[in-house]
Amino acid sequence: MIGLFSLALVMVGLVAGIYLNVTARAATAGRKIQEMQTQILQLQRTNADLETQLALLTSVRSMEQRAVALGYRPVDPGQVLYLPVPGYAGRQEAVLASPPGPAVASAPDLPPEFTETLVDWLQDLILSQPVPGVGRGGAP
Amino acid sequence: MNKSHYLQSHWRFHSIGALFFLMGVAVFVQLVRIQLSPQADVFRKQGDLYAGTWRTVYPPRGQIYDRWGNLLAGNKIVYQIGVELNHVTDPEGIAFAMMAVLDEDYENMLAIASQEPSPTAVFAVLTDFVPPEKVLQLQQLAQQVGQPDDANPSIRSLEGLVYIPHLQRSYPERDLAANVLGFVSMEGRGYFGVEEKYNQLLAGAPEEVWVPQDPYQVATITDIPPGASLILTIDREIQSMVEEILDQAVEENGAEAGTIAIMDPNNGEILAMATTPRLDLNEYWKYSQIIEGSTPFNPAVSKAYEPGSVFKIFTMAAALDAGAVEPDTPFLDTGQIEIGGAIIRNWNGGAWGPQDMVTCLQYSLNVCLAWVAQQLGPKDFYAYMLDFGFGHTTGVDIAGEVTGRLKTPGDPDWYPADLGTNSFGQGVSVTPTQMLMAASALANEGRMMTPHILRALVDNGTQYETPPQLSKVVLSAETARTITLMLARSLENEASAALVPGYRLAGKTGTAEIPTPYGYTSSATNASFVGWGPVDDPQFIVYVWFEKPTSSPWGSEVAAPVFRDVVERLVMYLNIPPDNPQSASLGR
Repeated sequence: MIGLFSLALVMVGLVAGIYLNVTARAATAGRKIQEMQTQILQLQRTNADLETQLALLTSVRSMEQRAVALGYRPVDPGQVLYLPVPGYAGRQEAVLASPPGPAVASAPDLPPEFTETLVDWLQDLILSQPVPGVGRGGAP
Repeated sequence: MNKSHYLQSHWRFHSIGALFFLMGVAVFVQLVRIQLSPQADVFRKQGDLYAGTWRTVYPPRGQIYDRWGNLLAGNKIVYQIGVELNHVTDPEGIAFAMMAVLDEDYENMLAIASQEPSPTAVFAVLTDFVPPEKVLQLQQLAQQVGQPDDANPSIRSLEGLVYIPHLQRSYPERDLAANVLGFVSMEGRGYFGVEEKYNQLLAGAPEEVWVPQDPYQVATITDIPPGASLILTIDREIQSMVEEILDQAVEENGAEAGTIAIMDPNNGEILAMATTPRLDLNEYWKYSQIIEGSTPFNPAVSKAYEPGSVFKIFTMAAALDAGAVEPDTPFLDTGQIEIGGAIIRNWNGGAWGPQDMVTCLQYSLNVCLAWVAQQLGPKDFYAYMLDFGFGHTTGVDIAGEVTGRLKTPGDPDWYPADLGTNSFGQGVSVTPTQMLMAASALANEGRMMTPHILRALVDNGTQYETPPQLSKVVLSAETARTITLMLARSLENEASAALVPGYRLAGKTGTAEIPTPYGYTSSATNASFVGWGPVDDPQFIVYVWFEKPTSSPWGSEVAAPVFRDVVERLVMYLNIPPDNPQSASLGR
């Protein structure tokens, strides 16, 4: 009697321990996700800020001032020599992202082993069993 | 252990066991009772209050680039500074620090920081849009509190002060293309220009997001996509060059204001659009100091005026296309013509004798052009003018476009005399953008292109190009080429100040008296020039307009030289080699 009681107690304790462990890890992972989401927002803000700072440093006026400081001056129209280069397409205009392409179905992130339920698995297993006399091709 | 002692212990064990069992049962009964009680909903709602918070997430505003990918409008980090009321221990210290670092009003800061916290008020905003360097100063101040080297012993604690970062619109090129871009207010709304026209696309869609405290539910937070970014047709270098020339010319000519706009006639792309005065967009609150009175933010699209003689090119083009005249059609200028009971005279009041259509344009003869309009007839004249787009908006994608005014037969205020005056650009009002669009028909083999500023849109990792839009085929290609050659010849015959050595250009000056409520009684003028080139394959149209120049009233003396200055440098930016390299070198 005492033995059975002790066994039940140990089992309950074991299940409780496993449950606590799993939930604690899930909670930690959840907190990490929250932290990373905050970090992503911070990095996005920093990226935008740095891009603007870079644009400020390379603005037309800044570049002109730097060019003048380096001893350059605006070219006189009379000094320009045009040299035709066969096949030269000229300066390429801004391409900041890829053009729209044909719609492609995105691949699932996780294989079904990680997402399907036990019931789904059993259902697939039963349905995938060949039924005798059905689905067999060929002439009679 | 004897038996009595065993029985006594056994009884105690059972009693303690029963007690714990009864306590467990009592807890269970109480749980069930609370779950089923009428107050259960109240408790659940109380619990939900602490389960998380609803937060409005504003996506980062999309950026704006020029055609080469140079950033024209971006975002920078600024801070909202507030106080967590239940953590504030020294409101006077906080108010003092805000006054010392940010020059805020002490009494106002003290009133905010001294508020009593309540279940509905735990946080209060002190100020917003604070730059990072100021926040750093506040943080350094907070670190010094209580230290032996504390410079501000009156501050006991800055506990409760919080700094919340967020993005604010920033314009790294300051006033460059300001009239085209517009600006974004502190509330995040775009005003004027592209910022207003594409406000919804740039701003993206803010979403209300539930942020749970429960770490098991964090995966439910959705990712808010940023606003779409825009790539404009504007070329930063050309825009800067044009603004520099415009500012200098406005000053030299003592003009009230000026506009220069450049468009590619083949696709309607606006390469530059400069106006005066311009605003540093990072200090948009100075709007009323810089752009005074009723002056529109972007006169190139929002200000209609009487264009004067530049309008003659459309009268002549319409007459040529309809077959009413030919380039060598003779005309005897007697110095005046009567149309609809009104006498029309030339700009100098003189009679110019025998002329043809080229010299009529060359000498800008009002009498001749009124006669040409008469040959065309009011029905065809106004049909062509409406086809050129006068009297309605061009559809350019910049906020604030106005229609101008073209009175037509049937309107209550139209009189037969208007045919004569309209033929040389009087009694009709247009915007510079309308003039660019109409001129594109002449420079692009009769095909009039809709002017546009958006070259491409970048949304969700994909770039969508904006195709050019044909507005209308107004003229035959032959007519367009003919009028272009006539205008080129007239410039060359006149040895115009608009000519650029090495390049064959077509163009026309305009000098328009400015009407007052009592008629054309003012000596002030609108001086303008429209031109395009190279004549064989036009790559650009340039429109120059000065309001009330004081150095000279004439477009030929004020606007034509500025056209030349612009084109001289524009051809270098566009890599357009001279038609005639020899004359180019001789000309210089």
